[in-house]
Amino acid sequence: MKILTSRMDAHPSDSHTISRYLATGGYRSLKKALSMEPADIIAEVKASNLRGRGGAGFPCGVKWGFLADVHPRYLVVNGDESEPGTFKDRQLLERDPHQLLEGVIISSHALGVNHAFIYIRGEYPKPARRVQQALADAYASGYVGRNILGSGFDLDITVHLGAGAYICGEETALLNSLEGRRGEPRLKPPFPAVEGLYGKPTIVNNVETLSNMPWIVENGGAAYAAIGPEGSSGTRLFSLSGHVRRPGNHEIVMGMTFGELIEDLGGGIRDGRAIKAFIPGGASAPWFTADHLDVPVTIDDVAKAGSMLGSGAIVVMDETTDVVKAALSVVSFFAHESCGQCTPCREGTTWLENMLRRLTVGQGRAVDLDLLLDVSDNISPGLAWPPRQTTICPLGPSAVSPVLSILTHFRDEVEALVTTGVSS
Amino acid sequence: MITWSKDRAEAAQRILGSYPERRSAVMPLLYVAMAEYGYVSEQAMRDVAELTGLTPVQVSSVASFYTMYKREEVGRYLVSVCTSVSCHLLGGDDVLHAVEAETGVPHGETGPDGTFSVEHVECIGACGGAPAVQVNYELIEGVTPEKAVELCQWLNATEPDPLLGDEMQALFGGQRSFDWGPSESTGSKGPVPAFGPYSTAGTDRLAGP
Amino acid sequence: MSERVTITVDGIPLEVDAGELLIKAAEDNGTYIPRFCWHPRMKPVGMCRMCLVEVEGPRGILLTTSCNMPVSDGMVVHTESETVKKAQEGILEFLLINHPLDCPVCDRGGECPLQDQTLSHGPGESRFVEEKRHFEKPIPISDLVLLDRERCILCARCTRFSDEVSGDPLIEFQSRGNNTQVLTFPDEPFASYFSGNTVQICPVGALTSKPYRFRARPWDLEKTESTCPHCSVGCSIEVHTSQNEVIRYQGVDNDDVNWGWLCDKGRYSFESVNSAERLDTPLIRNASGQLEPASWPDAMEAAATGLASIVEAHGGNSVAGIGGARGSNESAYAFGKFMRTIIGTNHLDAQLGDGLDPHFLVGSTPRGVINDLDTAKTIVLWGPDLKEELPVLYLRVRHAAQQGAKLIVIHPRRTGLDDRATFKVVYKPGEGPALLNKLVEGDPGLAEVRAAINEGPVVGLVGRTGLTEDPRLAEAVAAFLRELPKATLMPLARRSNVYGALDMGVSPRLLPGRVSSASESGKAALREHWGSLPDDFGRDTIGIIDGLADGHLKGLVMMGSDPVRDVPSGNRAAEALSRAEFVVAIDTFLNDSAAAADVVFPALGFTEQEGTVTNLEGRVQKVTQAAPGPGQARPDWSILEDLAHRMGGSIGATSVNVLFKEIVTVAPAYRGLTWVDLEFGEGRDGLVMPLEEGDQPIQYVAVDPGLAPTKAPLALHSARTLYDDGVHTRFGPSLERLVGAPMAYLHPDDAARLGIPDGGEVDVETVQGSARVQVGFDPSLAPGTVFVPFNQGIGQNLGSAVEVKLEVVS
Repeated sequence: MKILTSRMDAHPSDSHTISRYLATGGYRSLKKALSMEPADIIAEVKASNLRGRGGAGFPCGVKWGFLADVHPRYLVVNGDESEPGTFKDRQLLERDPHQLLEGVIISSHALGVNHAFIYIRGEYPKPARRVQQALADAYASGYVGRNILGSGFDLDITVHLGAGAYICGEETALLNSLEGRRGEPRLKPPFPAVEGLYGKPTIVNNVETLSNMPWIVENGGAAYAAIGPEGSSGTRLFSLSGHVRRPGNHEIVMGMTFGELIEDLGGGIRDGRAIKAFIPGGASAPWFTADHLDVPVTIDDVAKAGSMLGSGAIVVMDETTDVVKAALSVVSFFAHESCGQCTPCREGTTWLENMLRRLTVGQGRAVDLDLLLDVSDNISPGLAWPPRQTTICPLGPSAVSPVLSILTHFRDEVEALVTTGVSS
Repeated sequence: MITWSKDRAEAAQRILGSYPERRSAVMPLLYVAMAEYGYVSEQAMRDVAELTGLTPVQVSSVASFYTMYKREEVGRYLVSVCTSVSCHLLGGDDVLHAVEAETGVPHGETGPDGTFSVEHVECIGACGGAPAVQVNYELIEGVTPEKAVELCQWLNATEPDPLLGDEMQALFGGQRSFDWGPSESTGSKGPVPAFGPYSTAGTDRLAGP
Repeated sequence: MSERVTITVDGIPLEVDAGELLIKAAEDNGTYIPRFCWHPRMKPVGMCRMCLVEVEGPRGILLTTSCNMPVSDGMVVHTESETVKKAQEGILEFLLINHPLDCPVCDRGGECPLQDQTLSHGPGESRFVEEKRHFEKPIPISDLVLLDRERCILCARCTRFSDEVSGDPLIEFQSRGNNTQVLTFPDEPFASYFSGNTVQICPVGALTSKPYRFRARPWDLEKTESTCPHCSVGCSIEVHTSQNEVIRYQGVDNDDVNWGWLCDKGRYSFESVNSAERLDTPLIRNASGQLEPASWPDAMEAAATGLASIVEAHGGNSVAGIGGARGSNESAYAFGKFMRTIIGTNHLDAQLGDGLDPHFLVGSTPRGVINDLDTAKTIVLWGPDLKEELPVLYLRVRHAAQQGAKLIVIHPRRTGLDDRATFKVVYKPGEGPALLNKLVEGDPGLAEVRAAINEGPVVGLVGRTGLTEDPRLAEAVAAFLRELPKATLMPLARRSNVYGALDMGVSPRLLPGRVSSASESGKAALREHWGSLPDDFGRDTIGIIDGLADGHLKGLVMMGSDPVRDVPSGNRAAEALSRAEFVVAIDTFLNDSAAAADVVFPALGFTEQEGTVTNLEGRVQKVTQAAPGPGQARPDWSILEDLAHRMGGSIGATSVNVLFKEIVTVAPAYRGLTWVDLEFGEGRDGLVMPLEEGDQPIQYVAVDPGLAPTKAPLALHSARTLYDDGVHTRFGPSLERLVGAPMAYLHPDDAARLGIPDGGEVDVETVQGSARVQVGFDPSLAPGTVFVPFNQGIGQNLGSAVEVKLEVVS
């Protein structure tokens, strides 16, 4: 069952064009939605049990329900996909931009929004060009702009490009960025649905989340809810990378196990090697090992097993992987991407990075293992899952995940590295 | 006093008009200014400040937050090698070293002749096609150290302008994150991402090896 | 009165205001939660994370910052749990890993929140073995402030202050993550009028001020609360002295006035107190016409004889007095009493030709206070550029506008508040009456403005936009504004303690206590106390200058005034002084006017004597002695008392306390005030006069005098800038550098029309005087306007005429 990628699969040469989009039923849902009461559309979205595809997995309809009754209000599409391991939105933006646009227009109508923004990370010029072309075509065809399809509904959409900052994927940082500020997360509350862009009520939804809207409007929320296990309804686009034979994006109905996903869709581990570890939901997520291969790929099962499905990015590490170096790569990422406004993240992530780097160059000390844990504890008290945090946003605790993962699952290896100065 | 080219000055006005508040135009205008000056120079920031009603230091505060706004002069080809976890696992570091060795430019720097700037970057969303490289933000997936060397040689020898991602992928790429579909003839005109509406993209050369 | 709720902090139930921030509610009730970034006068940002606490909630215990957590009923808070302690220790460790250990050479050592909290909450030793972050050690970011980025803990207090509070965002965070630093833009220094506040609120030694650097250690400082004398806002300050020398001023949070903020002119004017140029001995003009040091008895004798002989020959009303606005109420009262009872003249004035009608200034109804700004729906400012003339009032208006009050600014030029103004109207000097008529009559061009100001409560801030403006225009404006819904008025004058001096009757039109000098009952009541009171007509400062110049007046007593620098026609004042038969000056410096006196007495200045002052709201606050003063300088009231003795009388000025007691007896508007009520301390923010016991005989209702506009092809706008060439700036080395060069500013279109290039030289001519200056362009000016900053070398000679001519020199 495919919702998001069926068009690009069937029409690889022109799935991004408006002609192909129209020829395959495009903008039909918009016409339907425009004839519906906004409240009824919201009801369908609530009924669909669609959960956000950006990482946090918050129910989309519930989020929409928080939107304060103040105008103007805004819809912002989060296309700042930057979580290491994740490249699904890139495909949706590049290969089926009209599907997203239709989702944005439907959602704007439902939410009473007259100006929506699509924030795309700056490193995605090609997806941005495709969306911009699609938007120009949609304007020209009357799907965006004044009095859309004679309905009296007006909508402007602005494409906004990021410029190299992972943190802008955090929705309030994204809003700051869109306002022309540093991409620093805001304190919550207030949440964007109450005080968002320009201080006005704002809904921020992920690209994949909104790309589902045309289908939900066409087929109804109940039909969407019926797909997949409870709590993880619908299909979802997973990004598989690392040491698998066939990396790539896979749209699946949730519920199969990680083992099946890696084996059946990813073709198993390269060169017939054994799996050592895998990250189940993007670089922020605590790592799993071979012991977790039978965990079902659902939001709730992964949470129960002590990690998160996050952005749906699965990074596979085979038995040859130097886990300390891999953890260093992830921690370096978060240290580099820390916005720097709050103390524990600014200072702590770099401290963790420096310590891990010392370990990898044979300058580790025995005390460093406990120090790594204690510094981690000062960022994420109790080192529990889901994490508590001394920070403003979850980026700091994200840097703790790989540290904790290697010290939990591969402590022997780390200790040996300290003792011998070289990787085992 | 802003002295941008006519196209860019018009783009700036278009951009300013597409937001409810002027300050929102800071980031797009920085791209336009970067295209105008080749990098985000002090003058570029003063220009953007003038256009948005901010002080120059407010603009530089924003500009310096984002890694893609280069505040020092950049080479004609900005080679960005991803070393985040998926690329790391599949040899991104080796690709980086190969690029550094071939160009003679250490990461974070620009060569003396101004041809290459080399950097290692965090995840560029090409994990299914790891290791990945961007040249002037146009992507090539599945790059080996050997192909990376050839890429640099080709850039040096043929000086492509604009630079087309599909062409580079065909010549030097391998495993891709997904089927890219048809080739594009739009590409980058310099070390600035090629965004159509910001007048930073180039389309005057057809694709195809 | 807001709703009260009960919260529990560390097991103790507390009753607090609903919605108050937890960090503040706890502190007000005895639980101090450590913090670095939170400042009670700025929005919480939760960045440093030091104020983490645990709050019990429906979904378990939440670890959260208390600086952005509003209290709610039933909230249970733990500030000392294991988790909280561990988290706070962790934050401190994070802050310290990159902080240099240079406390012994740091200005902040001894009064450093980071140092203090490390001692009380911090880890014992460092576990950090990596290299610390390095930056170039202190770099100057302005003429007054240095920045040490290694010490900085990135709390953003300075950047937020500049952006949010003072509205000149010239320092900002740069880069991100572990490389984040505070910095200015190249060649754009942190030239803010309020930069000193960032030094004061910096929780570490990252920002230091040049005038204070390495001057003292905090534990050596003696601290005395007082009131800033620089302008009529009356900011609360703490005077810090070391070994009898004033070392710095710090802002004190007065809830009704300055909220802890000071302008840099006020803050750094302490340097002039210590100036080597201070008068420290009496001076007498010798036979060869030079002023030379003299003993007190000789100088007293000379002054008394000189004044007495004029009084004898020409009568008391041939002598005049100018001054009183730079000292305390007690000094001003003594001055008024001396002039009226010992000399016997009504020619006395504390204003210097730059203010409004004294009845309007001190007796307006309904008169507002600064805090009215915070409840106002609409604020109308038709008056001076507050940023230049009343800087901390500017901050308060800015805050109110940011909180949502509509702000309408009407001025001939850009002002500091324009960026926060809902409407800004620019007009050519002289054409104010026409503009006001349009506004009153609802001219279509001003319909939006007219509609906007109709929502009350309205606060009207009215004053002269510049020295060429007819002072009666402000009254016309006030007459209009006072009829708006729930309107209050604040008539504005900037000079130091001018409101206090006028309240003390230092004006031809006033008697002490906001009594009209034309009031028979007022005069009778005062005669009961004073014994005598002249009945003659009194001249104001301009009249006095005219009288001296044309020979009607013969003698002059100046107390803390410098007419040559301060009146719009300084050359005319100089001429008047040169014609006067006998001039006595009581001052702290030998200013341009005192230099023309026959006898000069050295007076104690600010920080050197006790007393009270009155601000632009009519609020009385104390000034205190913190240092001894130079040489033989004495309190001015005591000099006057001695002089009175020599002239065969007394003004009863035996001590400040005696004077104060006399004031609260004699001056109706000050009745009921006690010295004790003015003591400093929590919640003591001064008292606005009159108290319930007092009464204010003048109930002045502004009326529109029906002015006709003055049409001038080219109109002069002459106004003060903060750093003009006054004594505090001239004799303070740090501020002196900041005084601008003499300039005339033109709209570029006018310049083009007149063929004047940017940077060209012109002769500016009015009927009253002329000056040769460089031209600068200022597109914010109304067309046809020439702006000349007053008292920057030249402005004071152009007078108050609107019409101006330009002659191109080059």
